[in-house]
Amino acid sequence: MDIELTINGERTRVEAGSAEDLATVLRQHGYIGVKCGCDGGACGASKVFVDGEVRMACGMAAADADGSEIQTVAALGTQDDLHPVQQAFVDNFAVQCGFCIPGMVIQAVALLDSNPDPTEREVREALDDNVCRCTGYQKPVEAVLDAAGRTRGEESVAADGGRSVDGAPRRAESTGCCGGECDE
Amino acid sequence: MGPRAEPSRPAAVEVSAMSDDDETAKADGGTASQSETVEDERYEEHPLEWDEPDNNDKAPDERDSVSHRTEKYDDRKLVTGQAKYTADYEARYPDLAYAAVVRSEIPHGRVTDIDTSAAEAMDGVDAVLTPESDAVPDTKYTSAGQSYPEPSPWDMRVLNEHVRYIGDPIAAVAAEDRSTATAAVEAIEVSYEEDDYVTDPEDAFDEDAPQLFEDGEVENEIVGHDYDRNRMAHIGGELGDVDAALDGDTHVHETEWETIRQSHANVEKHTSLAYTDEDDRHVLITSTQVPNHTRRQLAHLFDIPIRDIRVTKPRVGGGFGGKQAMVVEPIPLALSLATDRPVLYEASREEEFYAMRSRHPMKVRARTAVTDDGDIEAIDLYALSNTGAYGSHGMTVAGNVGSKPMPLYSKVPNARFEADIVHTNTPQTGAMRGYGAPQGTLALEGHLDEVARDLDLDPIEFRRRHHMEVGDLDEIAGMMGGEGANRRIRSCGLDECIERGKDAIGYDDLEQPDDDHLHRGVGMALSAQGTGVAGDELGAAQIMMNEDGSFHLQVGGVDIGTGADTAFLQIAAEVLGCDEDDIIVKSSDTDVTPFDYGAYASSTTYISGMAVKKAAEDAKERILDWGSKLLDEPVEALETGGGTVYSETSGDSVTLEEIGYEAAYGDEEREHILGKGTHCTEESPPPFAAQFADVTVDETTGEFEVHKLVVAVDCGVAINPGMAEGQIEGANHMSYEMAVSEGITLDDEGRAEVADFDEYGLPSATETPPIESILVETHEPTGPFGAKSVAEVPTNTVPPALSNAIRDAVGVRIREMPITAEKIEAKLDEREARLGDL
Repeated sequence: MDIELTINGERTRVEAGSAEDLATVLRQHGYIGVKCGCDGGACGASKVFVDGEVRMACGMAAADADGSEIQTVAALGTQDDLHPVQQAFVDNFAVQCGFCIPGMVIQAVALLDSNPDPTEREVREALDDNVCRCTGYQKPVEAVLDAAGRTRGEESVAADGGRSVDGAPRRAESTGCCGGECDE
Repeated sequence: MGPRAEPSRPAAVEVSAMSDDDETAKADGGTASQSETVEDERYEEHPLEWDEPDNNDKAPDERDSVSHRTEKYDDRKLVTGQAKYTADYEARYPDLAYAAVVRSEIPHGRVTDIDTSAAEAMDGVDAVLTPESDAVPDTKYTSAGQSYPEPSPWDMRVLNEHVRYIGDPIAAVAAEDRSTATAAVEAIEVSYEEDDYVTDPEDAFDEDAPQLFEDGEVENEIVGHDYDRNRMAHIGGELGDVDAALDGDTHVHETEWETIRQSHANVEKHTSLAYTDEDDRHVLITSTQVPNHTRRQLAHLFDIPIRDIRVTKPRVGGGFGGKQAMVVEPIPLALSLATDRPVLYEASREEEFYAMRSRHPMKVRARTAVTDDGDIEAIDLYALSNTGAYGSHGMTVAGNVGSKPMPLYSKVPNARFEADIVHTNTPQTGAMRGYGAPQGTLALEGHLDEVARDLDLDPIEFRRRHHMEVGDLDEIAGMMGGEGANRRIRSCGLDECIERGKDAIGYDDLEQPDDDHLHRGVGMALSAQGTGVAGDELGAAQIMMNEDGSFHLQVGGVDIGTGADTAFLQIAAEVLGCDEDDIIVKSSDTDVTPFDYGAYASSTTYISGMAVKKAAEDAKERILDWGSKLLDEPVEALETGGGTVYSETSGDSVTLEEIGYEAAYGDEEREHILGKGTHCTEESPPPFAAQFADVTVDETTGEFEVHKLVVAVDCGVAINPGMAEGQIEGANHMSYEMAVSEGITLDDEGRAEVADFDEYGLPSATETPPIESILVETHEPTGPFGAKSVAEVPTNTVPPALSNAIRDAVGVRIREMPITAEKIEAKLDEREARLGDL
């Protein structure tokens, strides 16, 4: 079936199988920031905004999103101009393997939209269905609290940040798996 | 076919501390009363002073890149969702086929028939492979992903007729899309002749138990194997005379501990994409920790020359040991050979829990002999390890139950460790962060706490009297041979770890809750790990200079999300005197990057990082030579820094860019400035941790709340403190899970009862207590800029610290993980009944 979606501001018609979930459809259209870590609706890595609500895209039939406005992590910021939440994750070393991070960033943005001054407990509750194996949640929680402070215009509570954390663009996009050489 | 691992020379022979007749072969030497001559000789062999290059030991204010909180180089693409993991390459291959696997539904038996006709008739199905198919190798192998010769038995096949657990792969399908592949798998009918099965390791060790392997069936057998009793290995080692100490005039304590079957739970599932390129070479883009080992193992399995296989690793979504194993790669490669198409295999989450790998569940018995004065005369550990249906990492993980935690008490004169590693018809186990040390640390640190309390000694002071310190010659790590060796301790921050941990947890001024039924307690545990496998590591790197003064760093080391690539950049930048941004890192592609054993055993920063340092120094030598020409000053007067070569005498300088252009396009002489470095060592210095847990227990219900975990770690010089803290906190979270979660539970047939994250007890953000990580800096002279490992040691410590904290709070002891309110309540009831009887 054909469904109509507005993805990150771009209106598009896509074909989706009746059993196909939204994450699969988004990934097929290049939105690889939508991650799949479970067998559907359990780990939070595929979180996106669907009409402003946070949903696990893998736990939702694509057909049910017909006519919706979708925002993925790609809509939030670019590598040279990160969203404050993304910047806080980078500055606080809240990212290790990074696989769960797009979903966590989406959830954190949603939290700060509705609650600009959350307590640590409230941050933990917001992230409760985002599975992260790498960080123990310590630095992601610190990052969200830091982002909240930044968004409210308070001074950053991030660690010193080192020399390279000044918002300046980093080196060119890395070479990926094999510098494109493994392309056929 | 390249060289094969000869079964006649398995690595296990190097671990031949144990012969088949159950006699513990005692490692020579190492008693309490060594003569001075012997000690002198040992000093020569393991000197305290290390011949360290001048540039390796920099005061904190001299470090330009190392020990700065440099931004992790891949973070921007990770937080924006642009980074590519293996599955993200699917768009590159329009003719990509998708794989799915038929797995055994019975715990033990023989496949008598595989009816593939319905699957093969389905639209969109490209290939169905069974054990009989030409594209499926019949060769026996181990999935372990270790060095060579492999210290794990060759006891498995890619697809199996003899199935040994619910999850054993039987057939594989390639189809146009994922759903067709899944449907085809469901359409395949497998008939079995069922055998008796056994799921409990103690039952399996019985001579009458159902037998998983026939004698002679396994290649590359491991020392101490006795397949009649389902034993894949037996190992042991002893220093001094433990029995004499136990029989002497001492207090003897014996305790037994049990650990869970933990899932790696890497959020990115095992994923692998294979195809054959236009040069008839086989390419794998794969989520692995060990590209070079995977290449070697595939060459063995498929009888393809190593040179014709290329293994590349994109971003990896967590490994933790689970991706050290070559778990999935043979399946897409076989399917791609059969279909002549690129094939992607992404395990399901359910498969992650029942058909990939897990931590070995173990029972560990601890015994000590302690004098009236509180001196530990002997430590004796015995482990019974359940390796599941196959033996990957069975012997080496069990060895680390003893060889990692016991050296903490290197001053104890008599030490013994033994382990039996037993097969059951349960899912496969393998390498997992900590690698046996968590099981051993629970037993040893829980045991010592109990001994101290029983003898009315302060648990911390008791440990302080015996723990390792600088100058010690540790012979315990080497007493079993194999993965471990005698070593001189040249850095040890244990005392500071304990002090700072105590302060952070508020050890000396703990306030009790007002309610009478609530009791607060603090527990602590120490831990040591290693840094790489002693004498069995190799890393290599190369650096090329561009004419604009920037560099390409090519390194075999494998970043699986730890930040290793960033650490490499910092190490190279420190040597080259440039900004990290001026270096492009390319790692883990067997066609392009120098050789490396891979990311395991806490080796990457230490081994691969030292290779990077050597490569940078090699390049720097050429840079200084060109600087000397351009500045007309002797090389001895020159140094690199701030993107220049400058003279320490005249103050003149020339930029790296000027040098780069001159070297590439000079009039008279030209040179591509290249540096290479390769590193191996016999050393494996231990990092240390002191763990504290603060808990309140409700004595009426057994319910408990962990307020805080504090863990202070001596990892030498932290190359990047932000990343090091992240490693510590993540490891401590994984350790906390071992203390409070059930792990992968199995039913009576050995079937995993966990199918997805919502059924697995990975502590969520609200269920995880705050974790305070403390970096205690020491200088390890054998490591790059003083670094040793960090990522494993904090995995070991929460189960004993929490058990000790519960004991401190309410006086009862939980030895069988996980710690639950029910178990505490039962112990409290038991105690009350006992007191009532008096």
